[in-house]
Amino acid sequence: MNENENDFGTLRQFLKFKGHETPPPGYFNNFSGDVISRIRAGEGGGFSAEAPWLLKLLQVFEFKPAFAGAFASALFLLLVFGFVYADRPESAPQPLLQASVQQSNSFAAATPAALAQPAEPTGIIAATNPATSLQPVASLFNSQNPFAQQVSFSVPGN
Amino acid sequence: MAEPAERTDQEPAADAPVAEMDLVRRAQRGDLKAYDELVQRYQERIYATVYHMTSNHEDANDLAQDSFIKAYQALKSFKGGSSFYTWLYRIAVNKTINFLKQRKNRNHMSLNDLDFNTENNPDLVALISENTPRRDAGLKELQEKLNAALLTWSEPHRLVVVLQDVQGQSHEEIAEIMDCNIGTVRSRLFYARQQLQSLLTDYLKPA
Repeated sequence: MNENENDFGTLRQFLKFKGHETPPPGYFNNFSGDVISRIRAGEGGGFSAEAPWLLKLLQVFEFKPAFAGAFASALFLLLVFGFVYADRPESAPQPLLQASVQQSNSFAAATPAALAQPAEPTGIIAATNPATSLQPVASLFNSQNPFAQQVSFSVPGN
Repeated sequence: MAEPAERTDQEPAADAPVAEMDLVRRAQRGDLKAYDELVQRYQERIYATVYHMTSNHEDANDLAQDSFIKAYQALKSFKGGSSFYTWLYRIAVNKTINFLKQRKNRNHMSLNDLDFNTENNPDLVALISENTPRRDAGLKELQEKLNAALLTWSEPHRLVVVLQDVQGQSHEEIAEIMDCNIGTVRSRLFYARQQLQSLLTDYLKPA
């Protein structure tokens, strides 16, 4: 090995040349201060310590921008999917209505107490959609309110 | 703040390990002043290693700072099985190797200036004037050529040359830092020097 090292003597001298490459003057004056500031700012034990998976994910994003793009696209598609399904509430209640009617019919036919009752829906149907859970909208306006009374005022002296 | 020129030795002083462990224990209890002292103690060597591996000042700055922050985060797991210095070196080296692997071939050199002593260093003057056929080559050109040659190697080969020939670490220390045996260090060193010699033929061949 010594013989080999002698062979590389000139090269090793040449490599010492790199030792003369030094950072700008005063660079190390602020170095430790910057490190301690970053630690105080939370990098020394914030989410990186509590959730290392998040730190790894961020590192993957940093080094693989394509992965970050794919992740963002997947999130966007999920959002669009959610909006599309949220905007179609009418499609779901219809089968639910039918199912509840069928279920009440079959239940009414099976119990003797139901003989006295009509086998039609009672009109009170539980649903999360307020538009379908109420009675027909027209009845609200066409029927008179039983609690409302007509009044007339006469002013004495006129 | 300790000035870089104050410490020229590559190995800690005899009483340093005791003080170092004391600082480490205080830092483990959250004493940032103690950790600041540890950072100041090793900042130049960690920075230099990362810089010589990346040949880029900005990358070296980020990686060296990140290494110290990561070491602080992991400080509670440090049990003292090796010296703090070796443990810190391992963190910095692994971080740098991972960074270089991610960066792959997108090497962009951002070299530091040569210090004032370079032109006055008799060994270097003699080397350039006697041992290179390119006497007309300026120091800057030699610096760029050397760094470009270093960047062509694999990270482990570059690291072993940086630690041994640039920073003067012993084979044992390098083996501990790189977590391999001394035989591997020697074979990598031999191969790397051979490759570098062939890459720098124009500059090393006697005139």
